[in-house]
Amino acid sequence: MRSIVGEIVSNSKEVTVMDMEASIEHMSRGTVRYVDALLVVLEPYYRSMETAGRTVPLARALGIQHIYGIANKLRSPEDGEAVAAYCRNHDLELIAKIPFDDSVVEADRTGRAVIDYDVTAPIVEELSRVADFLLREIKINGNGAGGN
Amino acid sequence: MKIAISGKGGSGKTTISATLTRILARRGLPVLAIDGDPNPNLIQALGLGPGVEAEAVPRSVVERREDEAGQARHVLTTTIEDIVSQYGLKAPDGVTVLVGTRVDHAGAG
Repeated sequence: MRSIVGEIVSNSKEVTVMDMEASIEHMSRGTVRYVDALLVVLEPYYRSMETAGRTVPLARALGIQHIYGIANKLRSPEDGEAVAAYCRNHDLELIAKIPFDDSVVEADRTGRAVIDYDVTAPIVEELSRVADFLLREIKINGNGAGGN
Repeated sequence: MKIAISGKGGSGKTTISATLTRILARRGLPVLAIDGDPNPNLIQALGLGPGVEAEAVPRSVVERREDEAGQARHVLTTTIEDIVSQYGLKAPDGVTVLVGTRVDHAGAG
């Protein structure tokens, strides 16, 4: 299955967003070869950050050029600082701090996309800034990082 | 531009993938979203509603070949356009979504 996703990503001519498998052990060269940017989601607790921390060197070894951290479900400034410190120590550029957002829970409960539930939700506003950032950093019609 | 999103299960990566996809589409970009998670729910996160399912892209669209060096690689047996038109679902804001793995009913949610 992984090779199918990899081949589709590599052949796609559109802007492509891939929701990856949870387990980084499955992150193979075939799946991510043509990916321009990897966004690594970190929650402010140890096991989540450790998973992210293991992902980063593996992604670098696979040749992904842009690797960014996204902190999610932050409940306090201390949560944000914990993730920021972890990212600094692991050479991961943190590009977003998304607070814990009840809109996500409510949208899920009612079977809707969060952007349809509340376009002003904090997660939507923070990810709009991520979109701005990615569009500045990465060419829309780029051919990916290449396979090395 | 090709973006992959990773994270531990429950980290919110599917919500983030779906929301970023919709935001990019609202900027006027054609966006293809791919669910590469074995326990897929990207379709619902994109706003297609409960009960909507996509037929997963089958294994037969890739073929394993060996190059001259004996290195195995995978190639598509059909065009990306055919795959998208046959297996893609239309989501709000003009997004197209493909499910790259089997739907696991037992573990859904």
